[in-house]
Amino acid sequence: MGDFGIYNIKNNALVLYPLRQTTWIGDNPLNFIKKIFTGMKRDAESESPVVVEEQQPVEEEAGAPEPETNPGFPDVRRVLQIPAISESIFPENSPAVLIKAKPSPTGDQCLFTVNRPLMNGNSWYFPDFESAAGSPLAEALFCLEDVETVLVCEYTVTITRKDKTLFDWVPLAKEVGTAIRGVVQAGEALISEKIIAELPSEEEIREGIQKVIDTEVNPGVAGHGGNVTLMAVKGNSVTIKMGGGCQGCSAADLTLKQGIHTSFRTAVPKVGAIFDETDHTAGLNPFFS
Amino acid sequence: MPKVNTFKVKVQTGEQGMSEPVYFNFNNHKMEFKNVSGSAESGKIFEGDFEVNSFAHSLTLVGPESGKWEIERISIEYDCENEKPYTIQFGAVTLDKATEVNIWQDPPIPAFDV
Repeated sequence: MGDFGIYNIKNNALVLYPLRQTTWIGDNPLNFIKKIFTGMKRDAESESPVVVEEQQPVEEEAGAPEPETNPGFPDVRRVLQIPAISESIFPENSPAVLIKAKPSPTGDQCLFTVNRPLMNGNSWYFPDFESAAGSPLAEALFCLEDVETVLVCEYTVTITRKDKTLFDWVPLAKEVGTAIRGVVQAGEALISEKIIAELPSEEEIREGIQKVIDTEVNPGVAGHGGNVTLMAVKGNSVTIKMGGGCQGCSAADLTLKQGIHTSFRTAVPKVGAIFDETDHTAGLNPFFS
Repeated sequence: MPKVNTFKVKVQTGEQGMSEPVYFNFNNHKMEFKNVSGSAESGKIFEGDFEVNSFAHSLTLVGPESGKWEIERISIEYDCENEKPYTIQFGAVTLDKATEVNIWQDPPIPAFDV
């Protein structure tokens, strides 16, 4: 392999870079490649390859733990993720009720953002028409033919449609916008007083969701090397993160919506919005990258 | 993922700057910016661009090999194939020899008034 070493393996691509301080001597290239795919470890007991270091005298600090070094393998930098700054989508202090619709990339849901608070600090999930009784906002939305579920969270409403074959949200979104605007302009309470009065504490939500994760969700996804972590609870909304084999998995969206959401809502019916903050493009070899 | 034609970056440095060239990693290839102006020294604004003409899997801004680089704000203008040009803003972050920061964002999903 001459003067080359592996810099990194990413996105199924093997990248070879010239070595600066390490030279590989007398090795069969096949053995070299075999070593790479058996864990990128250079075993000191193996016959080859032989690594010769150009060592420089280093003063050791007494008592300090020796950092793990991997000669010839420069440290992989940690990629920091910082949120993009979103600017206000509405003009300030507008007297009109303004609503923006934003369909999800998968097309099954649409997020409606309103320039008025709909539910302060909490959220509520309406799975069907019956659950909307007494909540004028949800009642108005379920009167629309294609609305399957409604999630109200602070300034937003998320609608799931019944007909999953339709991707054009414009006709339904206009009906939803009209319905939301009508209820907001009427000035009545948007959500049933009973729901507001019975909102659970953050502690109740945290305990319930953590129990489901520990006893139901994680044992399930562990079979695929995955795991789910409860990151935050705000009001009755929760934020989770998927890790291990779930992070970057092509079936993560299905697992989230049909598995995790269902488990959470069955065990903790008063849980509201469920946010997933997993970055499915991070890591060395994610499916979504 | 869209095909990126070009992107232009503008970085506002905070109190602690750096004097090294500014590098970015595109799909794990470390490169320098073209058409550079300004600098990454304390309080200065660095601007640079690059004609990529490739599909974006990852794009990061690389930290300095020595010292720290305190970034106050990053603004990136993307020109992607079959997409309207769009700009993404990021807030404060500090980079060093062990870190890089993701600056790639897919084109925003179009929203409409209803």
